[in-house]
Amino acid sequence: MQKVQDEPIPLNAPQCRALCGPDVSDRQRTAWLTALVIAVLWSLAAASALQAQDTPDYFRQNCMNCHTIGGGRLTGPDLKDVTKRKDRTWLANFIANPKAVFDSGDSYAQKIFEESRNVPMPTLPGLTKERLENLLNLIEAESKLEESQFKGLQISNKPFTDADRAFGRAIFLGHSKLDAGGTSCISCHSMYDTPALGGGRLGPDLTNIYERLKGRKSLSAWLMAPGTETMQPIFKSRPMTADEINALAAYFESSAGERPAEAAANRVALLLMGLAGAAALVFGFDAIWKQRFHSVRRRLVDTTPVHKFSQES
Amino acid sequence: MNVRSQVSMVFHLDKCIGCHTCSVACKNIWTDRKGAEYMWFNNVETKPGTGYPTKWEDQEKYKGGWESNGNGKLDIKSTSRTKIIPNIFHNPHMPSMDDYYEPWTYDYQNLFNAPEGSDQPTAEPISMIDGEKIDVQSGPNWDDDLGGSPIYAENDPNLEGLTEQQKLQLSSVERLVFFYLPRICNHCLNPCCVASCPSGALYKRGEDGIVLIDQKKCRAWRSCVAACPYKKTYFNWFTGKSEKCLLCFPRLETGQAPACFHSCVGRIRYLGVLLYDADRIEEIAKLPDDELVEGHRSMILDPFDPEVIANAKRSGISDGVIESAQRSPVYQFVVKWKIALPPHIEYRTLPMLFYVPPMSPVQASKPEDTIHHASEDLFHDIDASRVPMKFFANLFGAGHEGVVRYALRKQKAVRWHRRAETVGDVDRATADRMLHEANCTREEAEEIYKLTSLCTFEDRFVIPPMHREQAIEMMKEPHEHRTETGFGFVGGPQRGL
Repeated sequence: MQKVQDEPIPLNAPQCRALCGPDVSDRQRTAWLTALVIAVLWSLAAASALQAQDTPDYFRQNCMNCHTIGGGRLTGPDLKDVTKRKDRTWLANFIANPKAVFDSGDSYAQKIFEESRNVPMPTLPGLTKERLENLLNLIEAESKLEESQFKGLQISNKPFTDADRAFGRAIFLGHSKLDAGGTSCISCHSMYDTPALGGGRLGPDLTNIYERLKGRKSLSAWLMAPGTETMQPIFKSRPMTADEINALAAYFESSAGERPAEAAANRVALLLMGLAGAAALVFGFDAIWKQRFHSVRRRLVDTTPVHKFSQES
Repeated sequence: MNVRSQVSMVFHLDKCIGCHTCSVACKNIWTDRKGAEYMWFNNVETKPGTGYPTKWEDQEKYKGGWESNGNGKLDIKSTSRTKIIPNIFHNPHMPSMDDYYEPWTYDYQNLFNAPEGSDQPTAEPISMIDGEKIDVQSGPNWDDDLGGSPIYAENDPNLEGLTEQQKLQLSSVERLVFFYLPRICNHCLNPCCVASCPSGALYKRGEDGIVLIDQKKCRAWRSCVAACPYKKTYFNWFTGKSEKCLLCFPRLETGQAPACFHSCVGRIRYLGVLLYDADRIEEIAKLPDDELVEGHRSMILDPFDPEVIANAKRSGISDGVIESAQRSPVYQFVVKWKIALPPHIEYRTLPMLFYVPPMSPVQASKPEDTIHHASEDLFHDIDASRVPMKFFANLFGAGHEGVVRYALRKQKAVRWHRRAETVGDVDRATADRMLHEANCTREEAEEIYKLTSLCTFEDRFVIPPMHREQAIEMMKEPHEHRTETGFGFVGGPQRGL
């Protein structure tokens, strides 16, 4: 018979740790809790600070391609003192939903539309009530300054040179990389003189963009902060430099009056090239694998000449 | 010396009448199942002909067997450690269904169920693969008896090296000739299928050398199908496992000859144990082509040699098996008389099925309207045979005529001898001279005659005691096993792991 053990089996330290996890004292626990609370508070504060910084960035990314503050009109009007021209409620309504205000037959909205070469003001992405207020405050505050940070790119008036145009073309084709690492234009756009495969088809052909955007100033403003859904995320963090914008403007100016590339013709060429490539692959691999296993019996039967069957002895 | 025992076979082609009874016996026992319809573990081919699968002997196409490389290594032609990765989803050099044939049956129900009409109802052929109506294009013996046919006979790979005149001779009406080549798995000493299997599903049974596929280990790689130069492993598309001839080992274990042997009408098949030296396999498989047949023969040990017997006992070969090896008809044909030869030994798998090459009619020509024979002799010179010596050499001598000539000359001498003995139209002196030329004595000629013509079941099939009890002993208590046999079910091959 085995002796019955009535004393509790003493646990040794490793066993204990395995059962309960690392042993923690009360003091340590308090320290952890404090650290956690501090971390949460700090992150909240950081978040609000981030929001404060957020508004100028938002303005730069969403408004500056059409507007300046004290820099004169681009596509849209100069926003200096706009809060004096119109009351805040109207402005808030208009910014929140320009189309609705325009459709309601508002005469001022109509006037802006016409002045802007019939380019409607887009609805801004990610606009909240709070952000709207911040925007109006920002515009108000910046209007009071002598020199607003949103005066816009200072476009030089010196005439474009051949070097500018060549550099612009190189940037467009991706031969010379953008300083901040933005995507080359050709990835999404084409021009009248893009090479055989053509440019990308995601964005429009830019041959006549110089006229479409009414000249150097608004074109440059657009390039400084492109506002479309596709371009914005790319160039938001990788803005082009003034030199690059100048060069591109020079290139676009030179192409004004050319005929845009024939998209349809390029597509046919691409299809034909694709077919030719596929055929080359098929025949190429067939040649490489000439020695591979083919059907034996079927070939034997098919390659035996018919006259053999009627052979006389 | 590492003595092993191997159940070996001799097929006496001079006696084969091409009746396919062996094929049918085998089919009924082993391959009459879904997915196995196209398989013929045993098939009978007409030679010259392309066989089954079509042109299986053309290793330029099928890449079966071993090749001896210059660096003294023996490599599998179809696969290797490096080739298996790029070919992991596609095993090249694999015969397609069309190269075997698409199995079919007939729509017999239509004979009973057809609506009344003005014509007799017919039973149309339907595919056993998809059940659709089929235009039958080929079969497992499609070129049966088609000596001289322009598609099949003329494309026999063994015709390589024959002169144009010889080829023409073989295919000309009134002169053409053919013989039969029954084929089963050769249960090789150096099996390429075993070596190629990535799953290790194939193995050669230690006690009797039968090559088998473990249906539970097989992972459908099909490397064995491509590797076997005789194309005697088949892939079952229904179970997803490969299958092959198992030499009816359940019959052998109960003392019966395999079904194809048992049913053979022409009594062409002989079965018996050979003792061989397993240490020499690699050395022999690397020999140059012209030494292969002799080398292969030299591996087979004399079962009467005391040293061999002692070594055999040391390797665990039982007295019963040694005694059986001493009575083996295969030993007589292959080693003693040297008239049975391995098929295509140039594939270097060292097959353990041997063929006695057949005699063939004398050549004939038809200069005018009558047929003239090249020789008016009753038993003409073997070189005047309609089947050129080179053809036999390609089939049984790795392209070299010497061993084939020896076997045929001896067979011819035995005929002269028996003619002198029984009929008397050949004089004794001539017969003795023939025997002498064929390196044969009267006694040996009598023995050959007896084992060829007057053989009984017991003479032809000397089945060794299989000693299953010893094999069982390794796994469990034999008496316990005895009480359990017959209960429960043996699982058939199934798809999956």
